[in-house]
Amino acid sequence: MYFRGTWGCNLALSATIGIPQALLYYKYYPLWEGFLKGLGAEVVSSNVTTKRIVNAGTSVAENELCLPVKIFFGHLIELKDKVDALFVPRVISVEQGTYTCPKFLGLPDLARAVDAKLPKILDPTFNTRLGRRHFYEALFDFGKTFTNSKYKIWRAWMTGVAAQKAYQKKLLAGVSPLEALGGDAGAILSTGDLKIGIAGHPYNVHDPYINLNLIKKLKKWGAQVVTEEMILPRVLEHEANKLPKRLFWSYEREVVGAAFHWLQTRTVDGIIYILSFACGQDSLIQVLLETEAKKHEGIPFMSLVIDEHSGEAGLITRVEAFIDMLRWRSLS
Amino acid sequence: MKGFLGVDVGSVSTNLVVLGEHGDVISLIYRRTQGQPINAVQEGMKEIQADLPGDIEIIGVGTTGSGRYLSGVIVGADIVKNEITAHAVAASHVVPQVRTVLEIGGQDSKIILLRDGIVVDFAMNTVCAAGTGSFLDHQSTRLGIPIEEFGSYALESTVSCQIAGRCSVFAESDMIHKQQMGYRMEDIIYGLCQALVRNYLNNLAKGKELLSPIVFQGGVAANAGMKKAFEESLQIEIVIPEYHHVMGAIGAALLARGTVRDGKTNFKGFEISSIDYQTRSFHCKGCENNCEIVRIQVGGKTLACWGGRCGKWEVATAEEAELLLQTSV
Repeated sequence: MYFRGTWGCNLALSATIGIPQALLYYKYYPLWEGFLKGLGAEVVSSNVTTKRIVNAGTSVAENELCLPVKIFFGHLIELKDKVDALFVPRVISVEQGTYTCPKFLGLPDLARAVDAKLPKILDPTFNTRLGRRHFYEALFDFGKTFTNSKYKIWRAWMTGVAAQKAYQKKLLAGVSPLEALGGDAGAILSTGDLKIGIAGHPYNVHDPYINLNLIKKLKKWGAQVVTEEMILPRVLEHEANKLPKRLFWSYEREVVGAAFHWLQTRTVDGIIYILSFACGQDSLIQVLLETEAKKHEGIPFMSLVIDEHSGEAGLITRVEAFIDMLRWRSLS
Repeated sequence: MKGFLGVDVGSVSTNLVVLGEHGDVISLIYRRTQGQPINAVQEGMKEIQADLPGDIEIIGVGTTGSGRYLSGVIVGADIVKNEITAHAVAASHVVPQVRTVLEIGGQDSKIILLRDGIVVDFAMNTVCAAGTGSFLDHQSTRLGIPIEEFGSYALESTVSCQIAGRCSVFAESDMIHKQQMGYRMEDIIYGLCQALVRNYLNNLAKGKELLSPIVFQGGVAANAGMKKAFEESLQIEIVIPEYHHVMGAIGAALLARGTVRDGKTNFKGFEISSIDYQTRSFHCKGCENNCEIVRIQVGGKTLACWGGRCGKWEVATAEEAELLLQTSV
């Protein structure tokens, strides 16, 4: 059986389940929250990443992992004493013919290997590669942990889907994920004279700790910021298909699609690409993006590589110089 | 006589320049920072004041370099700019048609591409310092040859000697090996210059179009061996500006000239060289991040604070900083 539920026994209806504010949180939190609440669970999420969380994560994680995964572990540790179980789904594939990052495929296993005593880990599998039937079978199988009523499981899922749709609509309209999820995003109105596209994985782009508050800084310096969430999925899909060979990672297709869209439509003054130092996919699409950006003269492209050793001084210098460069252009 | 002051506080050197109203260099100071940026700026101010004509009136100040915020507070800057912009401004002032700027400083190196007087692309070393001035500095100490003489040694080289320049530690092992094999010192030194150039071009210039005129600036540009190695590798003539070692400060002064209107400058005067500045750092308890905040004080009064992720300490005035200190520490 391709779906392996490892949680074993039934959870009490009022169980508190923790969702770490890291990695796919920025993409699917409303879906997961709606689904779990619909099943009768209490849901809590961790707070924004702090130094303590980063230190906790990096101290238990394998050294070769990327910073976002290490931070994910930090969030698990942050939640461990507050919840009955942790929600760490195995997101294998979210559309036909593609995969997600290999670390997402093994995330529950990586989490179990973390050197810290963690509560029970709930790891439903989300895999659309094998078709709808398998996907929903897995869903019902997971739902059985909470209830035997297939109807209730279905209704819970649909509640999550509705919340997710509403969330994505907000993001499309330009609300940042943290704002949409009710957290503080240091919302400064974007009324700048420059428009900058921020490419990169949402967990890098929207975690102010990982990117050293890049978005807030850009806004303070008078730049409007646009991200991939503000582009229609079919547009991302269309743009990503311009690559001679289909990328087989979904989320990276979205990053590529967004950057290509901005370059193609010339709707931004410049693009900043945030990437993790240890990320395999990022290292590959960085080259694809840089090559494509060269073909579109007049839209500067800059990569910012981030890991736990990143110094703020170097990052600020680069971003300041990037903004100066864009302003200088628009003056002449 | 009116002038603009530019201050560039880098990791290795602290440079001050006073430009006339037309951008001509009236006076310049180049000195080592020696890990004491405040002292270096104060001593530099003393020196440059002694060198300047008595009737000089500073009508604008700009600061740049990694110590730009600190020096900006001390001298009263009208503009605080990053070193990439400052170097680009200075290069296009000295060589108006410049299309490529190579800059190698103490602990960082940059490449800036300009087209029609506008910066179109730039890069700065990120994870490694193998392609910077301290690499040469370190090797010169080891070889017992003053860094100032490195260039003339390199030019004496007759047979080039391949040194592994990927990492400065491995370059050193390789160099020791070459010495033990009996290679001439001149060839080894030129080999080092070539290794540095190779490293620079691989790291920073990768995939970029380096078009003439190319201006080479920063402290390392004083090394004639480096110029030769760049020219050999790129097959293009390299221009080294007269004031190559203080281009950052020149850029900062030029930026000040472009910023200050109606002569309203924040300049605090040359007297600041005798003020006793103190820096203190503390951990902000505003949130779990416990950021380390630096505060600069004079006689127990806070002038400015910075550091911290949220940006709340970079407040505009000293009064606000004082208020914030009372409420959140």
